[in-house]
Formats: sequence, C-alpha cells, structure tokens
Amino acid sequence: MKHEDLVIECESVMDEIFARCVENAPNFGVLVDCFKDSLRKTAYRYLNTDSSETPTSEEISGFLRQIQADDLFLALACAGGNDRAWWEFDQQHRAYLERVARHLARTEIDAQEVVDTVYVELYGTRVVEGERVSKFATYSGRGTLRGWLRTVIWHSLVDLHRASHDEISLDEMMENVGESFAHANFAATELGGESQTIDNIARERYRKATLDSIEKAFASLDSHEKLLLLYYHVENLKLREIARMVENPASPLRGWFQRKSASRDKNPASKIHESTIMRWLEKNYAKVLKIFRTELSTTHGLSEKEIEICMGLATQDLASPNLYRNLITT
Amino acid sequence: MGKLASEDIQIQRLIDSYLRLQVSKNGFTAEGEHLDEDFLTAFIEGNLNRREARPVVDHLAACMFCRQITAELIKLDLAFADDRARVFVEEGEPSRVSEVLNGLLSRIFGTNDDVVFAHQEQEKEEPSEKMENPPDNKQ
Repeated sequence: MKHEDLVIECESVMDEIFARCVENAPNFGVLVDCFKDSLRKTAYRYLNTDSSETPTSEEISGFLRQIQADDLFLALACAGGNDRAWWEFDQQHRAYLERVARHLARTEIDAQEVVDTVYVELYGTRVVEGERVSKFATYSGRGTLRGWLRTVIWHSLVDLHRASHDEISLDEMMENVGESFAHANFAATELGGESQTIDNIARERYRKATLDSIEKAFASLDSHEKLLLLYYHVENLKLREIARMVENPASPLRGWFQRKSASRDKNPASKIHESTIMRWLEKNYAKVLKIFRTELSTTHGLSEKEIEICMGLATQDLASPNLYRNLITT
Repeated sequence: MGKLASEDIQIQRLIDSYLRLQVSKNGFTAEGEHLDEDFLTAFIEGNLNRREARPVVDHLAACMFCRQITAELIKLDLAFADDRARVFVEEGEPSRVSEVLNGLLSRIFGTNDDVVFAHQEQEKEEPSEKMENPPDNKQ
C-alpha cells in the first residue's frame, strides 16, 4: 500500500487524538488542520525510515497514539502565538528551563542568556513568506516536551560557548559545558617503553594478531551491543545512567538486550537495575572474548599458549606505560 | 575460576583501551546528518520504536558527535529526574507573552523591537501589570 494511503487510513485516529487534546485544552486555538499536518509529517517521517518492512495502517495508528499529543498540542499553540498556551508553557516549563541552564552553564549570566535566547527561538523572530518560524514547529511529540526543551537548552549553550570561543574543538567545548563534560575527555593512553621479556619478532606478530582480532570481534557485535560498550567505556556513563535510558519498558534497546531473557517474559515491565546492565556488559565481553580467541586461533593460527601470551601482552601493555598504542601503529 | 576471572578482566581492559584509542584517533565518526533534537530526545527517553530506533542506534554506534550528546543528555535527564512531575506556579507573571518576549529582546539586543511581534500586538488595556490567572480565551 502507498504511504499516502496508509496515512489517509489513519485520519480517524488523528481526529480522535485531536478531539482529546481540545478537551484537555479548549483555549489553545489549535486548528485541526494544523494539528493533523504535524501528525502527518511525523507519520511520513516514520514511514520513510530505512526499513525493509512496510508498516500496516494499524502500526501507523499505534505509532500516532504513542505521540505526546498534549505536549504537541501545547507546542503548536505556542507556535501559533496563543496567549493562553504561552502562559501555560511559562508556568509549566520556565523554572525548569532555568534550572537546567544553571546546571549546565558556568555563570548565572550565561544561564540567563541561554534561557532568553531559547525563548526568543521558541517564539520565532524569523519570518518566511509572511509566516513567523517558531522553533516549536520542529517538535514532533516523539519525546516529551520537557525532554525536548532540555535538548534545546543544551544545544543553545553549546552554541553560546562556541560563539565565544572560535576555533575550539568539540572536545574542548564539551568539557566546558557542565561538570559532567569532564568525562568526555578522551583518555588517550600514554606511550611508554617496551617489555624486554619477549622476543621482538614474536611480539610484533602477537601484537598484530591481537589488534586484528579485537577489531574483528568488536565489528562482529550488533550496533546496540557496540553502543553499550561505547557508552560505558568511552562516554563513561555509569550503570545507573544507562539503566535510566532503558527504564521505559518499550525501549527497543532494552528489548534487544532482553530478547532471550526469561525474566523479561515473566515481567516485561520490571525495573532495570544496575546489575542488569552489568550482566548485559558481561555478555558483551564474553561474546567479544569468544570471537577474539577464535580469530587468534583460526585466522592467525595461534596455539592456546600463544593466545594467552597475546592476552597477557595486551594487558601488560595497558597496565604499564602503554605499549598498546604500538599495536595500532605497527 | 581464577583463570576465567583473569581473562574477563583482560578482555575488559583490552576493549576499554581499544575503544578509547579508536575514538581518540577520530574513529567511529559517521559522515552525514546528525540526529536532530526531536530524535535525540525520543531516543534518550526510550520512546522510539524498533523501526525508528534501529537506524538511530546504528548512527550512534558510528557517530562520536551524536553519541557524546546523548551521553550528556542522559546524565542531564537523570540529574533532573525528580523534576518531571513538578509544575511551577509563580506569582507575578507578565500578562502577555509579547511582554515577556519583548523584555527578552530588549535585554539581548538592547532595544524593544515591537515590530517583531507586531502581528499579534493589539492595543489592549490591561487591568494590571501582573497577572495571577491565565488569560482566558474562551468565547
């Protein structure tokens, strides 16, 4: 079925969502066409997602029902300049925006400037073909309005910082936005001297084999498995922070990790604890280790003893002034 | 048992160093479009379904820029987790949004640019400068 036809089949669902929003906020003045246009745009974006499967109209309907409709309704009303909606928005979100900005910014002035700038962007000062362009128009309702605002504040603060520090790298910039950026610094490992205990030629061979095998082992992981390792090891997210991200029982990331889990079958909405994330990580380590060993054995023809030397070499290199970098450069 | 534990630690260290080094060499940085605010937020909140999440996760695994942003937003989300249900009602709110925005503009640009909001500015007598109740547009 054509995408247009699929969306047309969902018109009644859109009307139903609109009616519920109007009931909740009768004074926002959002026109049905404006609201449905936004839903249609989001539905087309969903349909155009790179996927081999074409969804059914039931799936699109379900997708539309998941949209944060009241938040979208408020955003569209604000985009249209409705006073009542702006009053509501200001009441519900301004103090929150200010606290987020203060949390991230280094000075009170920066925080206030960012909040002011975001308000102006949200209202929209640019006029295109006689229409004011509000930042609210880019909100689709896929996430909560509050979460979206948090992201907007974050971006705005990064832009502010970038504007005041020309030619600054992303890393440097991120380090200076919020205390948590301290972790964003990529810990480039130190160079150091070489162990003298193993013959250099054999050592080079083991190094190359180790690098090649760890690369293949990592490459063999699914994207969600790679992402978990990257969040934990590179972005320094704590277990509880990762757990927070998969708190929503409908989270696909959670679903992929739990697809073979008996506990999930029993209680799919159960809370994700830090120990659960640790288990997911351990499964990833085990998977990498298995492929790593297989690669060393089959591709590089190393014996069990030599594999142990490779493992030992890599960790020695890591523990002492790092020779692991040499693995990469050889 | 001892060997297994030691091997576990070794592979963790190996992965750790490998990933950090790859990233420091500007690895894992995807070309092309980055995720927009809409998708970033929905991903962090776990609101994307599988169809939408698959390309997002693929992108994040490859794009250092977006991954760093999501990591920071996750930390931020957790830091403000208790704020979700809070609604702040403060006294003395300005009565019209145009007043708020004009105030902001004058602070930012040093001028009160009425023209910007001309499309909705209406000469209207306000009973007082401050308002404790929302504007009611009911007809």
